[in-house]
Amino acid sequence: MSEKLLEVRNLNVRLKKSGETLVKDISFSMEKGQTLGIIGESGSGKTMTGKALLRLLNPRVFETGGEALFCGRNLLALHEDEFRSLRGKALSMIMQNPMTAFAPMTRIGKQLTVTLSAHLAIGKKEAYERALRALRDVNLHQAEKIMRSYPHELSGGMLQRAMIALALMLRPKLIIADEATSSVDAISEEMILEEFMKIRAQGISLLIVTHDFGVAAALADHILVMKDGCIMEQGTARSIFHAPRHEYTKELMDASVLAEVNNHAQSF
Amino acid sequence: MAKLVINKLIALVLILIGVSLLSFFFSSISPVDPAEAYARRTLSRPTAAQVEEIRREMGLDKPFYEQYFSWAAHVLRGDFGTSLLTRTPVSAELPGKFAATLHVVLLSMLFTVLITVPLSVVSAARKNGVFDQVTRVGTIVGLSLPNFWIGFMLLVLFAVMIPVFKIADYGSFKSLVLPALAMAIPMASSAIRVFRSNLIHSYQCDFVIYARSRGLPERKITGLVLQHALPPMVTMLFQYFGYALAGSAMVEAVFSWPGIGSYLVKAIVGRDLPAINACVLLIAVLFVLVNFAAELVNLAIHPTMNASREGYRA
Repeated sequence: MSEKLLEVRNLNVRLKKSGETLVKDISFSMEKGQTLGIIGESGSGKTMTGKALLRLLNPRVFETGGEALFCGRNLLALHEDEFRSLRGKALSMIMQNPMTAFAPMTRIGKQLTVTLSAHLAIGKKEAYERALRALRDVNLHQAEKIMRSYPHELSGGMLQRAMIALALMLRPKLIIADEATSSVDAISEEMILEEFMKIRAQGISLLIVTHDFGVAAALADHILVMKDGCIMEQGTARSIFHAPRHEYTKELMDASVLAEVNNHAQSF
Repeated sequence: MAKLVINKLIALVLILIGVSLLSFFFSSISPVDPAEAYARRTLSRPTAAQVEEIRREMGLDKPFYEQYFSWAAHVLRGDFGTSLLTRTPVSAELPGKFAATLHVVLLSMLFTVLITVPLSVVSAARKNGVFDQVTRVGTIVGLSLPNFWIGFMLLVLFAVMIPVFKIADYGSFKSLVLPALAMAIPMASSAIRVFRSNLIHSYQCDFVIYARSRGLPERKITGLVLQHALPPMVTMLFQYFGYALAGSAMVEAVFSWPGIGSYLVKAIVGRDLPAINACVLLIAVLFVLVNFAAELVNLAIHPTMNASREGYRA
């Protein structure tokens, strides 16, 4: 049996003020090197799940319960300092909108090197070299120029790749990608999917949060279908695509296919 | 950059012409006749003929545009005329008065920044907490009190009841503190409200979540947030600087400070036309220059505002 990387048990997220539960006691697990796709429509709780695992939800607004064992350690109960050393290093995130993810007033290079020096005891020069290499590794040519640029000077696709470079720089065990392709154009989407394929090939686990069956089909080994904060269905990608058991999964797939057909129709 | 400076200079010239015209126009429609006021001050019982003579000497009998052009021609040569009250050239009096005002205003700006930044950062980081609530009440009080009243209270408290600071002792640092504080409190009160909400908005931005997800320490994140919330504040602080320079009269009056504000008020009361026009012109120049400086500083700290920088896209 292969090694468990992440085991989520009864994860729930609740709004403190109204008491409304947004993610309801969900449980799932990921093995090392596995790619898991969480699929669902807007408001299904999929992004909330990703953010809860990284403890990025505002503790004054949300209350998180349950367990999330990452390499045997409960992410939700770790001390803040201990958890911070995991974030970015062992656990990385790729945000939905690359245009707003980077701090607008800081050069890309600085944002990369600051992340490196937050986790590693390396000098400025070494950090710069590593960041440069990371950008080149995701096929960003003219990496020096990108390092000198401010986020608004780069395109969405370039920023998305810079974000992938940043995620890979610290050799994480798990990358959580939240709708990583939904804010970029079709060509960039293809390139980003290629990068994700490479990440998979390196044996890094991926948790892909998406509403797009196409993306999930291209990348995921396992799929988890969410609706209204609950898991409707989970299984291997093959079983979900070929024999969906739940009505909702079928509906979602049909809607996705319809959207594809519509896209094609528009392109003619 | 050169284009920006040229545009600003053209705007400055236009503004100065407009401001001086307005100042001239309002002086001319004022019901008090400066010639008569001057005559009454210098002669015990001026006759109509004497007033007329003074009017002619002062050039006030000429048409409006002639008066204006003759004044403008002198100003261009650095001659603002002679004060009707003190009979010394206005150009000799202004620098000293201006320096006095500048000292107070600069110190008040320093106080404003020193009060605003830490209080806003703590309030924003602990939104709706006790500290935030207390600061909010404090800023409302600070905003609703006029600065001359604050000045008066400070004066009574710290110069009379507990004589820590000196007053009416122009030249010493101790005499600067209270007037500067009186100016700074209302400015800081409104700046805190703006800066706090800017910071709260910045804290909710995506880049903060992303920075946290990368495990950056909280002080680095605070740095990013400050950098993001700063540009609108810089514009605002520079504007305050301009307002403080132009509107220092009240506080100067309370503390008997020999600055440009109290000089202007005396000139207005005494119908001292050359002094009024010179002060108005100086304040207008300062205001435009301060705003221009705000733009330059913003360009330097805010890369997205720099339109001349070429974007790089593959």
